[in-house]
Amino acid sequence: MDCPRSGWIFIGRLEESARKAADWLVNKTPLRSVRDWSIAFSLWPVHFTTSCCGAEFAAAANPRFDAERFGFLPFLSPRQCNLLMIEGTLTKKMAKAARIVYEQMPDPKFVIAMGACAIDGGIFYNSYNIVRPHEIFPVDVFIPGCPPRPEAVARAIVLLQRKIREARYLKREKKYESAGEVGTDE
Amino acid sequence: MTSQGSRSSETDMGYGPGTIKEPGFRYRPMGRDAEGMELYEIFIGPQHPASGHMRIVVRLDGDIIVNADPDIGYVHRTMEKLSETREYLKSIPLFERATIIDSANITWPYVRAVEQMLGVEAPLRAKYLRTLLAEINRISSHLYGFGLTGIFINHSTMYMWSFGDREIWVQLAEELTGARLTHTYIIPGGVRRDLPQGFKEKALKAIRYMERRLEDYMKIFVYNPVTVARFREVGVLTKNDASRLGIVGPNLRASGVHYDARIAEKYGAYPELDFEIPVMEEGDSLARLLVRIEEIKQSMRIIKQVLDKMPQGPFFADKYMRLIPPALRKHVAETGRIKLPGAFIRLKPPAGEAVARGEMGHGEVFYHIVSTGDTKPYRVRIITPAFRNVVLFRHLTRGARFMDLPVIYGSIDYFPPEGDR
Repeated sequence: MDCPRSGWIFIGRLEESARKAADWLVNKTPLRSVRDWSIAFSLWPVHFTTSCCGAEFAAAANPRFDAERFGFLPFLSPRQCNLLMIEGTLTKKMAKAARIVYEQMPDPKFVIAMGACAIDGGIFYNSYNIVRPHEIFPVDVFIPGCPPRPEAVARAIVLLQRKIREARYLKREKKYESAGEVGTDE
Repeated sequence: MTSQGSRSSETDMGYGPGTIKEPGFRYRPMGRDAEGMELYEIFIGPQHPASGHMRIVVRLDGDIIVNADPDIGYVHRTMEKLSETREYLKSIPLFERATIIDSANITWPYVRAVEQMLGVEAPLRAKYLRTLLAEINRISSHLYGFGLTGIFINHSTMYMWSFGDREIWVQLAEELTGARLTHTYIIPGGVRRDLPQGFKEKALKAIRYMERRLEDYMKIFVYNPVTVARFREVGVLTKNDASRLGIVGPNLRASGVHYDARIAEKYGAYPELDFEIPVMEEGDSLARLLVRIEEIKQSMRIIKQVLDKMPQGPFFADKYMRLIPPALRKHVAETGRIKLPGAFIRLKPPAGEAVARGEMGHGEVFYHIVSTGDTKPYRVRIITPAFRNVVLFRHLTRGARFMDLPVIYGSIDYFPPEGDR
């Protein structure tokens, strides 16, 4: 972000200094813990079903397993969501859509990769049309299983909440930040 | 619902040159048709508030849908090709991922086709057990469809109820097979497990509960004035069109065609059971819902009969039982669970072809297997019901209002991973 010349004062670039000051303030203990506490209990996954694990994802949201008690409520628009669940196999065609959905979500955002296919292809490991999700998103939690039980989804939510409370999500790898290429056409 | 004469389904199916000037229109947000009317193009999905997995490109003239084009292939996981690289037994778990909510029904015809080539027949008890699991799966598949239909028209109660009640049938299937969704229960030669103790009481309890709940469904969802207003006479599929387009399953039967692969093919225990095929004449979205409700009732009737008539005897073919070493065979007899020897993976059908079909919750599934006498098939062709029904998106939405699209989508009960394979 470029600042006009009038923005240059003795402390250097005003905007950068302000951002640093805000970061410093937000990352101090009382504010940070309040922020992380509230993020941890408002994980809203975007309603985006990539494959057949969606059946167990839907079961996790049903009355028997009731993921809403963790503050986990599937919602429609990616603009109001902060969690992307990759439910099973990610095909090349779907990966482009998934990356667009991921980029539309506001920060801080998290990704849970559900199922063996989302880890390393699973039963479709030698298919010509699949993508490993960790190649295109920074995945926070992997759920093994084919398909994972709804209890495993609940477990993943708890793990992600713990990760958020410990502020471990802030250390993201740089390689995912260049949003130019989707990386599906190899 | 219909206005401005946009519905011209009898003559123009949307395949030939229609009212829209092609090409080039597709990529512009707005254009004009032959009469100078402005058209809007709306892309729905693949991130949308329902089952996901697919995009619908809708062209609108005001509020009237000129054309709705389903863009499938988002879940194309190349199952037919992968099955050529795997042994016959390993393809069963592969194919059940196509319709994970109905996994017994989609693999049963495959197993029957393999059995035809191998020249082996399942014992009678195995046929009854297969029928039992297939009907449990059919009920849970229909309930899944109801839940999605409910959430399509923003009826969250129906979603919560039917997904909550679906768990009962999923649990029953889990008790029988050991897995919630991916059972891999039906294998060449029989089934993988015997009937567990106390299953009958649990199943009868589930049936009693479900019969009561279906009455609640009728009150709060199906005969709800809002639902009736949105579903009745929306997306009407005539009998003529249904048979001409090759529609299968409840969508076909809701249009007045009495066809069911369970009757036509006479497989499993179905010839010995007494049940009806629900048929309705209206062909609209409400009829498609009601046919599914009736099918749930008939499935429960079948389950009751299967549990009453369950014959004693082996649940795995003797021909393959002899492959199991004697120590393991004793274990199988004690626990009622097959432990397959490693040699079982090298099933080698002779060179030839086999076809089989079966009725899933969504409709008829068809398998064509070509073998060259190897341990792996040369080619497996699957024609799934969802792929045959996807044409309805184009056919039924013509001339409907835009808000009818979710209703039509929900009533077709389209399951994209099944269609894309």
